[in-house]
Amino acid sequence: MKSTDAILHTRGESRYVDDLPQPEGLLHAAVFFSPIAHGRIQNFDVSRARQSEGVVAVLTAEDIPGENQIGPLIPDQELLAEEEVVYIGQPVALIVAQTAETARKAAGRIVLDVEEYPVITDPREAYQKGQIFGTPRTFQLGDVDAAWPHCEVVVEGHCEVGGQEHVYLETQRARAVPGEGRVIRVYSSTQSPYAVQKHVARVLGYPNHLIEVDVLRLGGGFGGKEDQATPWACLTALATWYTGHPVELVLTRQEDMLMTGKRHPYCSDFKIGVTREGKILAYEVRHYQNAGAAADLSPAILERTLFHSTNSYYIPNVRLFAVSCRTHLPPFTAFRGFGGPQGMFVMEAAIARVAEALGMPREEIQRKNLLQENDLFPYGQRVVDCRARRSWDVAMETYRFSAWKKRVEQFNRKHFHRKKGLAVMPICFGISFTATFLNQASALVHVYTDGSVSISTGGVEMGQGLRANITTIAARALGIRPERIKIESTNTTRIANMSPSAASATTVLNGNATLLAIRQIVSRLKSMIARELNLSDPDRVTIHDEKVWYRGSQTGWTWTQLVQTAYGKRINLSAQGFFATPGIYFDKQKEKGRPFAYHVYGTAILEVTLDCLRGIYTIDAVKIVHDLGRPLNRLIDLGQVEGGLAQGLGWMTVEELLFDEKGRNLSSALATYKPPDVYFMPDDLQVTFLENADEPIGPYGNKAVGEPPFMYGIGVFFALRQAMQAFRPRKDYEFKAPLTPERVLLELHREEVRQGCLRPATVESARQSD
Amino acid sequence: MEIPIKVTVNGEVYEHRVEPRMLLVTFLREVLGLTGTHVGCDTSSCGACTILMDGKAVKSCTLLAVQADGAELLTMEGLARNGELHPIQEGFWREHGLQCGFCTPGMIMAAYQLLEENASPDEKEIRRALEGNYCRCTGYHNIVKSVQYAAKKINR
Repeated sequence: MKSTDAILHTRGESRYVDDLPQPEGLLHAAVFFSPIAHGRIQNFDVSRARQSEGVVAVLTAEDIPGENQIGPLIPDQELLAEEEVVYIGQPVALIVAQTAETARKAAGRIVLDVEEYPVITDPREAYQKGQIFGTPRTFQLGDVDAAWPHCEVVVEGHCEVGGQEHVYLETQRARAVPGEGRVIRVYSSTQSPYAVQKHVARVLGYPNHLIEVDVLRLGGGFGGKEDQATPWACLTALATWYTGHPVELVLTRQEDMLMTGKRHPYCSDFKIGVTREGKILAYEVRHYQNAGAAADLSPAILERTLFHSTNSYYIPNVRLFAVSCRTHLPPFTAFRGFGGPQGMFVMEAAIARVAEALGMPREEIQRKNLLQENDLFPYGQRVVDCRARRSWDVAMETYRFSAWKKRVEQFNRKHFHRKKGLAVMPICFGISFTATFLNQASALVHVYTDGSVSISTGGVEMGQGLRANITTIAARALGIRPERIKIESTNTTRIANMSPSAASATTVLNGNATLLAIRQIVSRLKSMIARELNLSDPDRVTIHDEKVWYRGSQTGWTWTQLVQTAYGKRINLSAQGFFATPGIYFDKQKEKGRPFAYHVYGTAILEVTLDCLRGIYTIDAVKIVHDLGRPLNRLIDLGQVEGGLAQGLGWMTVEELLFDEKGRNLSSALATYKPPDVYFMPDDLQVTFLENADEPIGPYGNKAVGEPPFMYGIGVFFALRQAMQAFRPRKDYEFKAPLTPERVLLELHREEVRQGCLRPATVESARQSD
Repeated sequence: MEIPIKVTVNGEVYEHRVEPRMLLVTFLREVLGLTGTHVGCDTSSCGACTILMDGKAVKSCTLLAVQADGAELLTMEGLARNGELHPIQEGFWREHGLQCGFCTPGMIMAAYQLLEENASPDEKEIRRALEGNYCRCTGYHNIVKSVQYAAKKINR
């Protein structure tokens, strides 16, 4: 099953927000933002901008009729800065003009003088100064302090992982259009239409029902439009409210990169204790999350860092501490993995350090500590239907790990300056929003009298294939051809209070809601046909292949006949379905509960080749065994695995997000920030799905697939580290990601770099080998 | 001051007066209403805005409309003939060479130029032809497969 969207995409006919036909009188907006990371606004003069030709309005905080406060968890962010600025890129004014170019030009005429305050960019410094969001969180299992004396080897270390720019190819954008009376309709590129609706209403001082939000599709989201699509939608709606005109705002790439939040950088300290055989007895970690200047989703992301801090390992004694630190950078936000990857990276780093201390292969320690059935996660959930060891064993066998490793060792013996590294990366990722209340979804299904079907859900299509998935589910449940089904835009007048399309849970939640709606309609149709044909057992009626069957034989009725008859008999051909994931809860006081409906497991093996004189490397192979449950659409599911992996590999290697001490983003364009290109991915990429792995919650045995594959990418860091160890063994290589070629080089030749040259011997040996 | 230009787009001749600083992509999207060409980065890094100008793949976000005066342009909308998908379009659909679809027009136009010049490219040549285009959703493998599918079909 391929998405109907795909055909539109290949014809250039699919529409994004600013492709919709332009309404009469459409105005364009541009944002004037703070060029200073922290300070008090002294002089703010927009008069020259207001007088510019073609400018219709320049809006500031004073023009906001409702509340100037936004934010998904706590409304701690000003839509337009009032007295203080807290990061570079913070919106201060909105210019509305006849064209976007005029608006941007006028922005240059705004005068903003700021009395500069000290800027904090380091999360540890923020923590020391008490600049934190919420309260620090600690998850505990067993007794870590009592366990240390029993450990034969104890090692400690630090990690630093960088942030990550989303680079959704479609930048943030929105268009607001005035409706009848006070109604405003907002077309937004958002993963969370309800968040947009709520916030626009708050900013305008309206009830929610006067704001209609419509989302057709996104040109990529990856978490970056979960809540950070909201400000742009609010600003266009504000401008429409003020001018009475339709208003569109499309950020340029550089504006987007400067003004929006990204994946959180983290600093972490770990301490790990093991037996001489490599059994982990105790693990302690302290995560300092760089949250940026507003809470945004950071506390929720921090929580998921804790949930995944022990990855797919069972450790009897753990203490996991994490704190969200306020700095003067753009508010960091959701990005595929939602804090999980940062937690898992540190766990893998700790294992690497232990392996190096014991002189034992890293994968042996990993394998010895894999989760098993009935183990406990540090948050109190029992491990059920565990596939950690299963996916590990299948990967080892399918991809002949032992022979592979021998080949790598052989290569390394033969070559002097080119070294290979091999790493295994198991993953375990919990599925559900960790805020339990978000695990709800509804769907609205209409069957028309010609037999065609319209389905609305709260899910947003952003390239993940939601439309194709819902179509597959619905066609199967109705027993009709997929061509009869149309998946509508996501609209707040059809679906109320929807959760964001996030947490990998969009198909799980909205697919199940669709099933529940369809079952109502099908049940009505079955009862009707049983009455019509005098059938004793309506439950034995089935609809498939567009025909109606009874006890396995055709009744002679077709789908369209069935629908038309039902209409004539005044049977309701519409239904709303509501799904709430059962059996999940979490008690934040005790930090215990059952937050996840289930876990996704998998194992990846990654190979790299590193040129140890130049620092450049290639990722040669990534071979994965992934726990997908039962595939819904194999091609789409594979696409999610491959795409997630590419982003994970990018985060660990070439994607370097840099800020200077003044809080300036030094990587705010695609010329200075490098996402993976067409040469980046390994030529040898293999993905095997675990067989017979149905997930009862489904839909149709399927498991969530959006985020988990991202974390296979973490393995590349350790493959590179192994290659470095093969060239020059040392225990103090840093755990600092991304491991860009530059950093590899500086690490490998630390002393030489300090002395200013490579040792002649090194250069000479390189000449002689390879 | 506006300057008259005459361009052929997807076989149709258009005459317009444009501001000398108007970008070619703006002309296509806003004057002609051809929104199949997307803007991804404004700086010719991402390739989403790739179109064909006199047979050459160009990034329409860093060309001026006046530079296209007298040229023949081909955009996404001009690929399908009589409702039939071009083999490249079919390839991207069949091989799932797309997810969110935003980079797709640029990818397809860059691949189109390649196949016009070299109907049987090897994998290396395909990747070279696409090195100016970013995709953030996929890992590019299916995009390469899509072009291979098209090459095979064209040569059949």
